[in-house]
Amino acid sequence: MPVNVALGHVSNACLIAALVIYSLSVVAFAGDFAFGRPRRAAAARAEQAQDRAAALAAVGAASSTAAAPARPEAAKAAAVPGAPPDVPAGGADSMPELAVPLPRAIAEAGRWVQTALALSLAGVLAHTAAVITRGLAVHRAPWGNMYEFVTALTCVAAIFFLFVMIRYRAWSLGVFVMGAVVVTLGLAETLIYTAAGELVPALQSYWLDIHVTAMTLATGIFFVAAVLGFVYLWVDRYAKRVAAGRAAPGNGIIRRLPSIEQLDRLTYRTIVFGFPVWTFGVIAGAIWADQAWGRYWGWDPVETWAFITWVLYAAFLHARATAGWRGRRAHYIQLLGFTSLIVNILVVQVFIAGLHSYAGVS
Amino acid sequence: MTDVRAPETDPFDPAAEPDDQSRPGPASPGRGTFGAADWLKWVWRQLTSMRIALVLLFLLALGSVPGSMLPQQGTNPAGVQQYDTSHPALAPWLSRLGLFNVFGAPWFAAIYLLLFASLVGCVVPRTFRLAGSARTLPPRAPRNLARLPRSAEYATALPPAEAVEVAARVLSGHGFRLRRPVEPADPADGGHWVSAEKGYLREAGNLLFHLALLGVLVSVALGGLFGYKADRLLVQGDTFADTASALDEFYPGRFVTAADLGPFTITLNKFDASYISSGQQRGQPSAFDAQISYTEQPGGPTRAGQLEVNRPLSVDGAKVYLIGHGYAPEFRVTDARGQVVYNAATPFISGTTGNFLSEGVVKVPDAQPEQLGFTGVFVPTAVDVGGTLESVFPAADNPVVSLIAYAGNLGMNTGPSQSVYQLDTSGMQRLTANPQVLLPGQSLKLPGGRGTITFTGYVPWVSLAITHDPGQLPALICGIVALGGLLLSFMIRRRRVFVRARSGGHGTVVQVGGLARTDASGGFEAEFAILAAELRSAHEQAGAHQPAAHQPQEGE
Repeated sequence: MPVNVALGHVSNACLIAALVIYSLSVVAFAGDFAFGRPRRAAAARAEQAQDRAAALAAVGAASSTAAAPARPEAAKAAAVPGAPPDVPAGGADSMPELAVPLPRAIAEAGRWVQTALALSLAGVLAHTAAVITRGLAVHRAPWGNMYEFVTALTCVAAIFFLFVMIRYRAWSLGVFVMGAVVVTLGLAETLIYTAAGELVPALQSYWLDIHVTAMTLATGIFFVAAVLGFVYLWVDRYAKRVAAGRAAPGNGIIRRLPSIEQLDRLTYRTIVFGFPVWTFGVIAGAIWADQAWGRYWGWDPVETWAFITWVLYAAFLHARATAGWRGRRAHYIQLLGFTSLIVNILVVQVFIAGLHSYAGVS
Repeated sequence: MTDVRAPETDPFDPAAEPDDQSRPGPASPGRGTFGAADWLKWVWRQLTSMRIALVLLFLLALGSVPGSMLPQQGTNPAGVQQYDTSHPALAPWLSRLGLFNVFGAPWFAAIYLLLFASLVGCVVPRTFRLAGSARTLPPRAPRNLARLPRSAEYATALPPAEAVEVAARVLSGHGFRLRRPVEPADPADGGHWVSAEKGYLREAGNLLFHLALLGVLVSVALGGLFGYKADRLLVQGDTFADTASALDEFYPGRFVTAADLGPFTITLNKFDASYISSGQQRGQPSAFDAQISYTEQPGGPTRAGQLEVNRPLSVDGAKVYLIGHGYAPEFRVTDARGQVVYNAATPFISGTTGNFLSEGVVKVPDAQPEQLGFTGVFVPTAVDVGGTLESVFPAADNPVVSLIAYAGNLGMNTGPSQSVYQLDTSGMQRLTANPQVLLPGQSLKLPGGRGTITFTGYVPWVSLAITHDPGQLPALICGIVALGGLLLSFMIRRRRVFVRARSGGHGTVVQVGGLARTDASGGFEAEFAILAAELRSAHEQAGAHQPAAHQPQEGE
């Protein structure tokens, strides 16, 4: 079936719109840091939590995923969000902000966050519309070349992050993740734009829908985890500098960010969500490879790098269960994992000849 | 009190594996008498520690990198040869290190075998511990439940013993495994309590995942030992039988002989390739279609079939794949005597670029008085660009061949066996100074009355891969099991809930405490809150039938 050119143009227009709206949302998220009013209510509740936290730290009864730190934020760290607000039994260390129902949490977040949130949602709508119209224009899953893949994975990242941000009320992370989405999408638009077109016979298979969809989802999820990992390392470094007396405590930006333990847990959960999806994608790819090339695993360069990525994320999961490897080191590993993913997309698929050379980038 | 910290040594949490902590005791070499057995024990304990497993995982990732950066013998032998000639100093060293065959190299095997040994050393004891824990009860309830990560407290009108009874019923109804005090009201134990634990499937899933990975390795080995891989180039109109002599390349597994090949035959009746003819994607293939007929047994019924990319043909336990295609120009050669000494389609091979600009050779050993040879280029859609021929489209819209003729000794009877795609011109004399361009039907008269070569036409050829891999299905099953185990271990949390009831000043005080181990996906807080609310309402309901001495009061 021929490509529907008009619909392709609609898709392009939607994507440009998404890019503009996302950029505005990043400005609004940044504006919250600069001009937003401090969240007094939250600060007050955090103080309340301090006593309990100290008591908890003394007992050493922190949850297993985060080693109990002797910091006031321990209370937040050990908390698991999502408690229905009307349930009477409150945990001793529940994260105070999360007991707040969503409408109130948004109301308390202030104008800047509300604006940013509205813009992000509008951006995601435009982005999703762009991906869908592209799919309709080419009559297939719209992730058949690298440009389409990046467009789709950033869409997944944006949707997934909005979900995470709203669920955990982590407004302060918006500027980082949405910023990364804007940069990635902008680079894709300017450097590797590929007009809507048909696929080579090797890609004309329903396994494209299964294998590449899984890889797109997993990459989008790992994308969010990687940004969180960077924020983690930044906050961690700042805490170390404060501890060493080389930086003044109370950095205005750091104070607004989630605690280091919250960031750690959020990243961990994100990767725990992405890892099985990636595993499924690799297995689906193996089945497709068996149908297309006569072997389910042949150490084709792209297969090799998907394997490297898998091993590195597996190493991250193991590192978190190994004394001396939690925290900083574990995050270096997951960032290494994401780096291998990027190398696979940008270097291996483009510059190394192999069976997976479908990038469509000239 | 100790129960709060009990998870620190919980066998179910890899984080608490003693191996990962600084191991106490005599298990360090170099001190006192340390025999061979101690050394072995020490090495084994090191190997099975999480730290070493992590290091091995890194090495596995790192070791794979050269396998993707350098050409590999298995997937790209031509690339290896090219690398060899372009880096004559470096290549022998890389070859010695096995870097052209990374995934078959001993050092790579050492990494993954050590990793799997480490995995076995970790997983097997854990499996026994899990089996053991199916018979072990949860720990006793800690004295002060308010100090657990989750806790709740309220009053009920029920007497303590009954309150615990009600709680046990609720917890049991949720599938928790329970533990009650041996002596119902041992005062030294602080009164009435019940311990409950759930989520043993988490560890089971984790073990399943690791064992399934082991299964994948075994399946791959199975395929390597009992499977085979073969390639065959088949010109349209030709037939071949799946026998070792008829295959271009045959890579049998260790326990496979030529006799194990399925004796099927395949004929390529027609091959079509379509290409996008306009726009930005001009020249990109849009469909391949190979019409074949095949027989499963010699002399068996002939069946029609179709081979497409992504659609292999299953025949006689093997699978046949369409993996490539090209052009085979047809030539007729007459020699000095006027006899037709060659009349065949000759497969020419194209590079990765150049719109199927293909190269090949024609060898005519039967020509008299001298043997003849030709090197040629087939150009499917030829355009003259500044004196050289280029192909501007992969379909044969304007096919031409360009030939250089040689006469002399082809050298086919001496020396090592020759490639059919290369002409050894050392014993030959070049007959044409410039390449001679022929259109279909045109002939080239060779100088000195040596004969004529006619470009009579062209047919397509396909390259087929034939594989048999008995490890395929086991590998798939293990992969799915691994994924299932992974999901189990991520989605299920192991958690403990404790309930204590004491007689307070105004009735019975119920304390509920909860603790989740490895709550990867989160959500224990919500689960605990709901459970606590349910316990409370169960107590209220049961208390309503009780002659209440006073109103239940809330505590925090």
